Amino acid sequence: MSTKHRMPSDEELTAFIDGELGAEEAARIETMVEADEAVAERLEFLARASLAYKEAFAPLLDAAPRAKLEAMLSAIPAAQPARPAAFVSRRGFLGALAASVVAGIAVDRAMIGVGTSFSRKDENSEWRAVVAEYISLYTPETLAGPVPPRDVQAAQLASLDGNLGLQLSPEQVALPDIDFKRAQILQYDGKPLAQIAYLDPETGPMALCIVTSDGGPKAPDVEGRKGMNVVYWANATHAFMLIGHAPVDRMTEIADAVRSKISV
Amino acid sequence: MIEGYFRMLVAHTTFPAYSHARTESPALPAVPKQPIRAEAAIASEADIRSGLTENLARLWRYGLVLSHQRDVADDLVQATCVRALERADQFAAGTRLDRWLFSILHSIWLNEIRARRVRQGQGFVDADETLILDGARDTETHVMANQVLKQVNTLPDAQRSAVFLAYVEGLSYREVASVMDVPIGTVMSRLAAARAKLSETVSAGGFE
Repeated sequence: MSTKHRMPSDEELTAFIDGELGAEEAARIETMVEADEAVAERLEFLARASLAYKEAFAPLLDAAPRAKLEAMLSAIPAAQPARPAAFVSRRGFLGALAASVVAGIAVDRAMIGVGTSFSRKDENSEWRAVVAEYISLYTPETLAGPVPPRDVQAAQLASLDGNLGLQLSPEQVALPDIDFKRAQILQYDGKPLAQIAYLDPETGPMALCIVTSDGGPKAPDVEGRKGMNVVYWANATHAFMLIGHAPVDRMTEIADAVRSKISV
Repeated sequence: MIEGYFRMLVAHTTFPAYSHARTESPALPAVPKQPIRAEAAIASEADIRSGLTENLARLWRYGLVLSHQRDVADDLVQATCVRALERADQFAAGTRLDRWLFSILHSIWLNEIRARRVRQGQGFVDADETLILDGARDTETHVMANQVLKQVNTLPDAQRSAVFLAYVEGLSYREVASVMDVPIGTVMSRLAAARAKLSETVSAGGFE
């Protein structure tokens, strides 16, 4: 082929298609495409591979085990020195992932399941520490986006029923003047943990978290964790915690509203 | 019910909290003895942490594209998180955090995980098995999407990564080169080779 020596390389044509050439280079290629049928054909051929890549790979984002990854991330201890004693002794959670940790990363501090502690009175606070750690990573941006419509809320809540044996309607978990954002099941050493996330326009992220519990009913109590306030209580089958940045009075008020709607 | 009242100083916020004295003794704020540099490192670690949270799914997807295995993708993300937090002080403020995280994940894959698996003699599962979308074979869109996935996954590793980073994640050639730690010319030749191969398939009616 006589035009062979003037043929731009596939690299050049690819860069041209991808808009990676400078103006001068691009103009040179354009001229060649116009002047030479063979160049135009090769360009057209390579452009056939301009497929819907983004769309094709989008479902893989949904396939990512977000809750598991988020929990894993929050289980990685902060590198900062001089942590308060309460946290040094706190046993982390989600050791499951540590089994496959690569390259000698010591996550043993974050190991040892929390699962066994759910049923033991003295350690009932463990899961709340873990949730607090997790929620403390949330910012208003984490929960940005529109409030899901009622049917979506209902569908999300239905997943809690299957996992926790807890039937909740959007109305039951609606909080006064605070937006429902999502309900999801997190997993904790094989035990389901329901998290209903809200965004309070005034104070930011808030969450109602629920685990199964056989520790018996417990009246509401209040505590501070990770700079947030927590109201926690239990009925015969489940333990609840409401965590957020709102002042204690408001948190207690909200928790009371929730308790009156979720049969205790 | 409410047994105690403490005013706790946590971080930079003063907030009132009722506390159950038995289960939670308020952490008395230690007099900050750390040098100022440590404070800066802590702040940047928090930034990295929140950046990681935002990018977990994208990192996992890249891990899956590289390894074809969900559990390996999990491992890769975890190792990336640990490494990024350890090296928080190495992140150049003002640059794109997601690109930096991709680089870390890529390097862990290349230098540690892939090497380890090769040493252990574990074969990789067929790409078709893991990357094809389950239960998504009904609509035309999904058929097409699966075709694209399948074809990209038949590409050699290096080409596949380049295609993913450039065409799925939208990185510039320069950014792809930086993530893959290769010269920009190498990125160009990988993409060109990938295009030639994919175009061949399209032309041969491989996307029916």
